[in-house]
Amino acid sequence: MSRPDPQLFQGLGPLIRFTARRDRLRLGLWLGGIVALLVGSAASLLGVYPDQESIDTYVRLFGDNPALVAFAGPGYGFDDPTIGVILVNETQVFACIATALMSIFLVNRHTRVEEDAERAELVRAGVVGRHAPATASAVVVAAMNVAVAVLAAVGFVALGYATVGSLALAGSILVVGLVFAGVAAVAAQVGGTSRSALGLGLVVLAVAFLVRAVGDVGGSWVSWASPIGWAQGVRAFAGERWWTLGLCALLAVALTLASFRLASRRDLGAGLVPPRPGRARAGRWARSPLGLAVRLQRGAVVGWATGLFVAGIVYGSIGDDVAELVEDNPTFADVFVQLGGGSLVDSYLGTAMAMLALVAAGFSVSSALALRSEETAGRAEPLLAGPLERWRWALGHLAVAAFGSVVVLAAAGLGVGVAYAAVSGDAGEVVRNLGAALVTLPAVLVLVGLAALLVGVAPRAALAVWGALALMAVIGFLGRLLRLPDWVMELSPLEHVPRLPAEDLALTPLLVLLVLSVALVAAGLGGLRARDLHIR
Amino acid sequence: MALAIACTGLVKSFGATRALDGLDLEVEAGEVHGFLGPNGAGKTVTIRILLGLLRRDRGDATVLGGDPWADAVELHRRLAYVPGDTNLWPNLTGGEILDVLAGLRGGLDEARRAGLVRRFELDLRKKARSYSKGNRQKVALVAALASDAELLVLDEPTSGLDPLMAAVFQEEILDARAEGRTVLLSSHILAEVERLCDRVTIIRRGRTVERGTLDELRHFTRTSVSAETVRSAAALAELPGVHNLRHDGARVSFTVDGNHLEGAVRALTELGLRALTSHPPTLEELFLRHYGDDLAPSPDPSPVDGTGSP
Repeated sequence: MSRPDPQLFQGLGPLIRFTARRDRLRLGLWLGGIVALLVGSAASLLGVYPDQESIDTYVRLFGDNPALVAFAGPGYGFDDPTIGVILVNETQVFACIATALMSIFLVNRHTRVEEDAERAELVRAGVVGRHAPATASAVVVAAMNVAVAVLAAVGFVALGYATVGSLALAGSILVVGLVFAGVAAVAAQVGGTSRSALGLGLVVLAVAFLVRAVGDVGGSWVSWASPIGWAQGVRAFAGERWWTLGLCALLAVALTLASFRLASRRDLGAGLVPPRPGRARAGRWARSPLGLAVRLQRGAVVGWATGLFVAGIVYGSIGDDVAELVEDNPTFADVFVQLGGGSLVDSYLGTAMAMLALVAAGFSVSSALALRSEETAGRAEPLLAGPLERWRWALGHLAVAAFGSVVVLAAAGLGVGVAYAAVSGDAGEVVRNLGAALVTLPAVLVLVGLAALLVGVAPRAALAVWGALALMAVIGFLGRLLRLPDWVMELSPLEHVPRLPAEDLALTPLLVLLVLSVALVAAGLGGLRARDLHIR
Repeated sequence: MALAIACTGLVKSFGATRALDGLDLEVEAGEVHGFLGPNGAGKTVTIRILLGLLRRDRGDATVLGGDPWADAVELHRRLAYVPGDTNLWPNLTGGEILDVLAGLRGGLDEARRAGLVRRFELDLRKKARSYSKGNRQKVALVAALASDAELLVLDEPTSGLDPLMAAVFQEEILDARAEGRTVLLSSHILAEVERLCDRVTIIRRGRTVERGTLDELRHFTRTSVSAETVRSAAALAELPGVHNLRHDGARVSFTVDGNHLEGAVRALTELGLRALTSHPPTLEELFLRHYGDDLAPSPDPSPVDGTGSP
């Protein structure tokens, strides 16, 4: 099919309007959220770094810090810094991740989720071309990315940032969003279900982020293996190289065309991986709701644990560079020890662990929300029409969410620990970092408790738990930059967890968080027992 | 006889919509009870209240002597349920799902399970993701029928089954009745209802509009009559209970209320009856009368073309 048949795109216009209208609230929240964070950060930076002296100080403090490089990027333009250079360093990577997440979630929602829900069948049975629904989703998501970029650029320029640099920064955010719209479109063809397609897209994003972190810290070509690395290579505010954005645009187009090609070979609702026959009898787990929940979620636990183990290894192995830097530059080390409370390496490891804990919390939230999806999809109905108390059913899934969180966090901690133990030659690092990871568990469990509470008491608002996780991420990464008031910062349970190994272990906040989680779960189960079940 | 299910004045609202508006339902122990009504009449809502999945706003409901909300788990040990649109865990096989549902119940009769799987021709090694609607339905049916539940609650259980499988289902229900089990059967397949059900309840817009045995229901509705008489039968239009009379020379056709059939036939005989066919209302006519939006009898519901008709 070198020459596309126009019939394949029949019905595109109405589908685009339908997609945009159906999701107008969701699209508005993504757009408003990302733009507000970007422009808010840009405005805040102007206040924090009002003159050249403070800008130079920023670069002196943060310029060569591998921890910051791993999270923020290579720091183009630090040799002749401007406020724009700081803006790029503080916002670019996170904005790229935000638009990538937006693209992945929206594309998955409009393609594979529709297929799994058998709504796509209804649409495609109409006068609609084979590629029209996927193209409509691509158009809407591309328009969203353009809107984010345009509004952000307008905001930057209005605040007084250099126009060319603002455009380059906004452009880099745009193209990463487009690339991951393409990634999600391909994943939607490859994955067997909407969940596996979503997971695939997120894994590719995580790999792209980690690859550029490794490359940036090592100052090597490795960054060029990641589209995020290409987007950063535009060098916004530091002598722009526009062609790197072109690379991303080409990749986005190639991925989208590839997804069409794959779609032509694939049956509606099927993945490219063919199904195998399963077992005719259930294992011994079949008798308990906990066993069923374990069986249903074990793939997710294994997948997230593997991903976080790998991510942990990446962060742990970078720790060596931090250690070298401490030896090279004692004054620099002194500054950081004062900021972080422990050694420079420890404050880096603590920050890495907080980030990994946030990712792990993504597992916890999605796992706890399985409760809601089992209910609304009607799969809880045959169980609860049998002799099974609601609280036992719910507790099965919540227990998997809780113990799965332990496994996933432990995997992250082991990854960091094993890798850092290897590069530092100190086997004790394994235990230290495992402990540092597990100490964040109570904070993560609060989200499980919140999910249980919402499912029980306000089921239609259950997805708001994702909002709570997003808030935790914003507080964790941008809270100090945005100068959020203390009471807002303290909303995040993660802020109450001591950042091991840099800080001392304090048990009281952990116990408080645990009690809070249990109370939330109890209230949720009470609510679940008293309310109607929602079955479509 | 003891009642397996007794509901009076059930009311259930979802926001501004009143799904049930004073519904009554009585199912005797040991009978197969048909539960009928147009789409959106409230059948599924009623069933979900009986299962304790929804909480009733007002009214009384008793299932197997217990309260469906408060005693849900206890009652669920004694009943089995088949939803009309069965959703299964896509990554489990049919066999695993049967074991999951049985495991929660505390085991099932292996011989029975094997027999049902064979009769329903279920491939247990396929993942539920790849099952058709009919096959998903079969999984739910086998799970319910293989249990030793004394009450079977079936919500359009044969939707999606092929006619052969629907026949297997009917055999199984008749067997269940022979074993003394009680069945509440919601269905749109009238032939199935006619074959299986001892009594039916028809609901409409959340209220019970008719209940009784099929014979009783027929009695209260009109019989179609067509006849040929020596003298003109035009005057029959004056008789009580006779409707929609048409006559063409010696031929006449009309419908007559069940309780006036005798008088009409006597009048025909007096006019010199040469040929007579009459048939009771089909179940379909019975339902159409209740399902249609317009409850008033239409002027000419079933034109009869004279003596040649059955």
